[in-house]
Amino acid sequence: MEIHASMAAEALFHIGPFTVTNTMLTTWVVIAFLTVLAILATRRMSLVPESRLQNLMELIVEFLLDLSEKTAGPRVGRAVFPLIATLFIFILTANWFGILPIVGTITLCDPHHPGHCVPVFRAATSDLNITAAMALIAITTVQVVGVTVNGVRGYLKELTTPLLLAPIHLIGEISHVVSLSARLFGNIFGGEVLLVVMFALVPYFVPIVFMGLEMFFGFIQALIFSVLTIVYIALAAGGHGGGEEHAEAHS
Amino acid sequence: MTDEAFIKLAAGLAIGLGAIGPGLGIGLAVSKAMEAIGRNPETENAVRSTMILGAGLAEAVAIYAFVIALILSLVV
Repeated sequence: MEIHASMAAEALFHIGPFTVTNTMLTTWVVIAFLTVLAILATRRMSLVPESRLQNLMELIVEFLLDLSEKTAGPRVGRAVFPLIATLFIFILTANWFGILPIVGTITLCDPHHPGHCVPVFRAATSDLNITAAMALIAITTVQVVGVTVNGVRGYLKELTTPLLLAPIHLIGEISHVVSLSARLFGNIFGGEVLLVVMFALVPYFVPIVFMGLEMFFGFIQALIFSVLTIVYIALAAGGHGGGEEHAEAHS
Repeated sequence: MTDEAFIKLAAGLAIGLGAIGPGLGIGLAVSKAMEAIGRNPETENAVRSTMILGAGLAEAVAIYAFVIALILSLVV
């Protein structure tokens, strides 16, 4: 029994020098789906939602806004809320798309190399490039917030406070990027490999359990990515400022 | 033993040993969460959310080991 799983995303076709991979194609599908969903949810919006879709979207947005503002404070939380919400909604949708029947099954076969078939769709977040890109954006935002709130001098002071620990702080930031991207990639790619193996072993009924597991983990990983990002932002913005506000409030 | 045998053995060891720590960690987290809920049933929602978050973070370490095992067995 041969199971083919490639860690790198497989190329589908080329536009000039630009390679389009199957994860890229799935990302475009996810973007189109989310755009259509957003348009449908905001048509004829009313203050008291009458459409169920608008109600559902408001539930999600309120949850994310509450999370942002509670973790990072009202000002910073509201400012970075679009990033947190985008990360959560995109990662959640991309993860759940990997469970759809069309993902991994429809293959594109190369006429020049017979037997060389490549799946047309593949879960977007099972590509290390995509998760690394999102992690880089998130951690860059953390640094930008640190500089914006504390000023360049405050940011550098934070970095070099125990001067000997400055390299450890830097390595810590890089390890945040690596851990965010590797966590999401490992969970989703591992889930894909698990589903392929399960379907190869027992094609009937047993995979239902594993698909449920994949849905659960997809949701958890999206939540963890966004919560960790907002926690890092909160730490960068006012790990010390928050303490002062608390002291003033109590006195 | 051939090179290929070593690589497959390494892949098995990577995930096998790498899952011990996170398994214990997640078990600890869940047990403490259950204690907390038992002591104060009102805080169940907050405790449960924090527990899921903490378990996800601990699981990430197991995922790192899993990725290494995958690299070893797929990419050689």
